[in-house]
Amino acid sequence: MGGPLGQRVRRLGATPPAPAAAVTREGEVGGGAASGRQPAGVPLLEVSDLRVRFRSRGGVVHAVQGISFTVEPGQTVAIIGESGSGKTVSAYAMMGLLPRTAQVAGSIRFKGTQIVGLGERALQEHRGRNVAMVFQNPERSLNPTMKVGSQITEAIRRHLQLSRPQAHERAIELLRLVRMPAPEQRFHEYAHQLSGGMRQRVVIAIALACEPALLIADEATTALDVTTQGQIMDLLLDLQQQLGTALVMISHDLALAATYAEEIMVMYAGRIVERALAGDLFGSVRMPYTRALLDAVPRVELEPHVLLPVIGGRPPDMVTIPPGCAFAPRCPDAQHDCVQAIPPLQEHEPGHWWACWHPCGKEAPGDIGDDLTGRG
Amino acid sequence: MTSETTSPAEADAAAAVKREGEVGGDALLDVRNLVQEFVLRDYGGARGGVLQAVSDVSFELRAGETLGIVGETGSGKSTLARSIIQSPPPKQGAVIFQGKNLVGLPRRAMKLARRNMQMVFQDPFTSLDPKWTVSRIVEEPLIAYRLGSRHERREQVSSLLDRVGIDPARYGVRHPRELSGGQAQRVAIARALVLEPKLVLCDEPVSSLDVLVQAQVLNLLEKLRREMGLSYLFIAHDLALVKQVSDRVAVMYLGKLCEIGPVRDIYRRPMHPYTLALLASIPSPVPASGKRGGTSVISGELPSPLDPPSGCRFRTRCPRAQERCAAEAPELRPLGADGHLVACHFPVTEASGPRREPAAATH
Amino acid sequence: MAAPVASVAVGLPDAGGGTPQRQTRGRGVLRSLEITIPGGLLLVLLFFCFIWPLVYPVPSPTYGSVLNANLPMWSPGHIFGTTQVGYDNMARILYGGRTTFEVAAAVQAIGLLIGGGIGVIAGYVGGITESAVMRVLDVFIAFPSLVLILVIADALGQSELHVIWALSVFSIPFTARVARAGTLRLRDQPFVVSARLSGVKAWRIISTHIVPNLMPQLVTLSLLGAGLVIIIESGLDFLGYGIPDPAPSWGGMIAYGQTVMSVTLAPLVVPSLFLFGTVVCLNLLGDGLRSRWGVR
Repeated sequence: MGGPLGQRVRRLGATPPAPAAAVTREGEVGGGAASGRQPAGVPLLEVSDLRVRFRSRGGVVHAVQGISFTVEPGQTVAIIGESGSGKTVSAYAMMGLLPRTAQVAGSIRFKGTQIVGLGERALQEHRGRNVAMVFQNPERSLNPTMKVGSQITEAIRRHLQLSRPQAHERAIELLRLVRMPAPEQRFHEYAHQLSGGMRQRVVIAIALACEPALLIADEATTALDVTTQGQIMDLLLDLQQQLGTALVMISHDLALAATYAEEIMVMYAGRIVERALAGDLFGSVRMPYTRALLDAVPRVELEPHVLLPVIGGRPPDMVTIPPGCAFAPRCPDAQHDCVQAIPPLQEHEPGHWWACWHPCGKEAPGDIGDDLTGRG
Repeated sequence: MTSETTSPAEADAAAAVKREGEVGGDALLDVRNLVQEFVLRDYGGARGGVLQAVSDVSFELRAGETLGIVGETGSGKSTLARSIIQSPPPKQGAVIFQGKNLVGLPRRAMKLARRNMQMVFQDPFTSLDPKWTVSRIVEEPLIAYRLGSRHERREQVSSLLDRVGIDPARYGVRHPRELSGGQAQRVAIARALVLEPKLVLCDEPVSSLDVLVQAQVLNLLEKLRREMGLSYLFIAHDLALVKQVSDRVAVMYLGKLCEIGPVRDIYRRPMHPYTLALLASIPSPVPASGKRGGTSVISGELPSPLDPPSGCRFRTRCPRAQERCAAEAPELRPLGADGHLVACHFPVTEASGPRREPAAATH
Repeated sequence: MAAPVASVAVGLPDAGGGTPQRQTRGRGVLRSLEITIPGGLLLVLLFFCFIWPLVYPVPSPTYGSVLNANLPMWSPGHIFGTTQVGYDNMARILYGGRTTFEVAAAVQAIGLLIGGGIGVIAGYVGGITESAVMRVLDVFIAFPSLVLILVIADALGQSELHVIWALSVFSIPFTARVARAGTLRLRDQPFVVSARLSGVKAWRIISTHIVPNLMPQLVTLSLLGAGLVIIIESGLDFLGYGIPDPAPSWGGMIAYGQTVMSVTLAPLVVPSLFLFGTVVCLNLLGDGLRSRWGVR
């Protein structure tokens, strides 16, 4: 980073941990032989018209309403959305973790194999071996009564045929890989003896135990301090480089996605509404919802006591599907046709997809409205 | 506020406050040498270690200004807020609010003194009684202070709910669980404002809300601030957020104040290494030239609050630490712009030279 | 840091900052079978024990002629037969049920009021008061309850009232403990802290904030405990400590039924079934309400 702040950081004298190779994130789709990625062609994960519904007391909840995307080997993708957007449900679907009360339609192909409809045994094989997940709260992911090392070896031995001492060694290797200080000692400790950042490292180690080709991080750093967040995200990206793992980050934090992801997908009300490479997304936002998200985030560059431009209203409840574009009731640029037909997600520009009848141009934002505080 | 006869001690405190209010007006809140401790119990109830969550913190808050308090886990910022409102009261130190020291006040005087200080908590669903209706929740402080007739109270509740963006006719009879997170937090804000306080302590008021709702509520807080002339003590971990709302910012680490000063100064010319590290860790939504920003500049783990490092508490993770840092705890000293104070032996200024070899971080 | 408010369970859709936590009113208490069936049965039983004898000429449970002694089940005019001195068994069941319910209700009410009151106050006030109260209660809890109850009942003598006192010694500390634990948990909740900050007086906080939020837990506890009280009470009667003969009680009837077991099973089985059924219904109702109200 440049500017006066950057100079002060340099004067601070700390050397950021050097990544394995100089990392530039532009134009790397399908290339980068040095990073150990397979050439493009066979997508690692191919989601096609995924729909998920739940029965609940209030009716049928349409959590995901037809999303399609692909993840290439070694790619870093972010799925951004607020509560109720369907991002977490999509992630669980990719893992095969949805409960039996969920009705899943559509297709999820991992290296060509269909995941939807697989039996439990096959799914168990799939989880951990092919795909692993890092959850938000490390306290919930780790067994408080088991030593952390044992939890790693447990994961190892479930999927790989290793003897106990071999598994132990591999576990220590993994702890080293996730930059855990004093790994041999930490192996024998319990979760409550570790800090939040260290616990999350253990969770990552467990996730990587069998070197899955895809790692899903569901708000993995949300519960961590900002300094730890930086450490963990750097770690994840470095591991990606080393192991060639693809990473899907689920988050509500656009800034985080911008910093760490190559491609970003924005979800609203169960659909993908915009998808682009990180640079393109922020350089030329098209979907008014994405722009609203960007505008509403406090930024350090802004002056204090400025009112943030924000739209009112709330996302629709997922039981009654509104006609047309789900965002139309709140959209400052909405027109008549927006409530009549759902705009399809299309690649309007190379590498930049959006689902909007009246996308934003590159000029000034639309009419925001007077009441910036929103009404209940 | 009702006038009361002041004791000699209180008169002294008030006079001291008047003396110190040199820069731009009287201090609404004057916190001095605040210490808060928790005794940890071992199994069986035996006395374990003592956790000093807040260690000798002093600062001022002037009328009409917003002081942002920033810190990470273990910084003690939430404990600081609770100590200021005396719930529980601090072990040592003084909290002088509108000229009265709240520490040690008898209950009746405390109730009167605290009327102008209210608090908004992080999670609205635990800060609102789930069995009560919205109107009743907002009305409760008025009843407790016996203000107004029933009719007048209802009027005030209605108008206040309206002001925070909640339709009283529709939502007045609802219970908190029937509201969304943003709506519930508005109700909590309304309740905090119904007594028309001078100071509102906000402990992470928007952290549990979605991005768009968060912006709405922040705008609401700003609007109310302007209309009602409120002062805020705003606690958050999100640096960008704190900058958005504050006039001055204080940075805490492991129970101590590292740096405090006017907001623009802190963000443009931070001097404490911890502040710099925090600012450097912020991921930015507009990445410069596609390079990975927000890389971690800070290493190591947070030391145990039970047994903090000697001298400067940040030294185990600070790249500029020297021997002096282990021997001597740095005092908060003015440096740079007016009102900018730093507690560091080797702060980062324009004049400081290139990186020195960091001393081994032993403890 | 906290994420946007979202429901925790795996796979469930988020209902966070954008949408209310509970959008529909949900089905009422009456609609779930696990509550209505046991509740309904209990109500039917209560009706027959308390109201039916007022409208229908049920024979007195302690009046009978030796000429009618030992009639078997399904005899005309005496559906459940008669005892060895001619008392109608059906009437004895109904009036015995009265005793059962009266004792259970009284004991649990005393437990709620006194025990709950002590527990809430001790929990809220804390300090020495709390410690002192809890230590005293600990003494009572430490005694094997059955032994304690027997001793008290024996010392006081046989009567329904004395049974109630004896059993209250058991239910008061029990409820007090739960009430105290609940109060401790609620006391540190932000909404209680808020109320204190708003200047609300302690007694008002307790009565308007703490108690209403404790009620679901205490009510379900009372219902579940009622089953236990009934069993112990019947045990007392069975052993001869409780309700004195010839007043009817289910426990006493079971004791008698035991003596004639080899000859006829009905005198044993019928009161046992009533006892069993009542306790099961109370337990089911308590459990159903507990899950319906989300009490931990």
